[in-house]
Amino acid sequence: MGEPAPAAARTEIILENLSVELDGRRILDDVTVRLDQHRIAVIGANGSGKSTFARVLDGLIAPTSGTARVHGHDVVRGLRELRREVGFVFTNPDAQILMPTVAEDVRLSLRGSGLTRAEIDARVAAVLDAYGLAEHADAPAYSLSGGQKQLLALASVLVREPHLVIADEPTTLLDLGNARRIARHLLEELPAQLVVVTHDLEFAARCDVALRFDAGRLSEVGEPARVVERYRRDFA
Amino acid sequence: MIALYRHGTSALHRTPAAVKLLALIALALLISLWPHTGPSLAITGGVVIALYALALFPPTVLLRQLWLARWIVVLMVATQLIFLTPWDALANTVRVVAIVLLAGLLTLTTRSEDLLAALEAGLVPFARFGVDARRVGLTLSLAISMLPVVAGIAARVRDAQRARGVRLGPRAVVPVLVLALRHADDVADALSARGAD
Repeated sequence: MGEPAPAAARTEIILENLSVELDGRRILDDVTVRLDQHRIAVIGANGSGKSTFARVLDGLIAPTSGTARVHGHDVVRGLRELRREVGFVFTNPDAQILMPTVAEDVRLSLRGSGLTRAEIDARVAAVLDAYGLAEHADAPAYSLSGGQKQLLALASVLVREPHLVIADEPTTLLDLGNARRIARHLLEELPAQLVVVTHDLEFAARCDVALRFDAGRLSEVGEPARVVERYRRDFA
Repeated sequence: MIALYRHGTSALHRTPAAVKLLALIALALLISLWPHTGPSLAITGGVVIALYALALFPPTVLLRQLWLARWIVVLMVATQLIFLTPWDALANTVRVVAIVLLAGLLTLTTRSEDLLAALEAGLVPFARFGVDARRVGLTLSLAISMLPVVAGIAARVRDAQRARGVRLGPRAVVPVLVLALRHADDVADALSARGAD
């Protein structure tokens, strides 16, 4: 093992020559990038590697080669510390909701947090209220609509107050109203750094930087309006 | 059948989960082991009805629980009539249905998180034998949560068959299993993302 990489700044995401192979297929190919912007959009066609990129940042997929450091933590060796700082919002909320009722699912995120029961109750109530789910607190989570489930998934992540939120197509299953609500929250109100994988190009254009993936390669990094415009043109 | 919590303010709702759990175990043992006669079966049914009334639930709640238990009744009566007398089949069926209804009442009047906390506390002494109480609690919660998800997968497969005008029959279990296993992978990722070991 070589020299350990120098400690990254707390808000930096640093990938160096990172590749991921799954079942003999190269999903990410030699990605090198350094990001410290607040809102980071990731765009690209289906199968281009953008979701894999997001999963690498949370340690859900280990790199085959190269390194990734997120907020100072190596995504392989510093996984436990990384998970304390990072929240991940999946595309399909059904896979993310783990507890029988709405409030219990949010509460699960605070297990082992060291907070008192009263503090946990207060935080859960506040986040459910913020996402319009307060009246469903004791309802079975599976009985919610698709949009409400995505709101619950987001609430369950944000109740932990992570320093970095990674969202993999968080608005895909939402109606226009809920999609705008989530986008506004993520872009304007979320204090944490955000990495959002999205097909919503308006959403992407409002971020601070955009990354574009093509066939596993990071093909463009830059000012979102320019990256989005070129992406649109290529598919016109 | 998973009877999820119904909000209420009755004495049963306010009783601590651990007390209700122990009472359920005691009642289940009593109902199972008692050499039943006609009057004792009637008393068993009366106790179940009285406890549902104590929870201040409308009669429809008990009827719904009974309806959900209908296949247990059918299965038990049908299989036991082969080997036992009609009276023994009836007595055993009443025993099982009464216990299922009481277990349903426990989950109807107790938030599952309180129930799991009580279970976890009860399992702590077994830590010396390698039992991880938190993990057992989380596993039980997941099992409860996943039942409607699997039911939803089965409904999706059924709808897909109808939409395409095909009937897979017993082979429908294959896509249900594949989707359920894929869902299990996603849940594993979600657990990892939330920091579960």
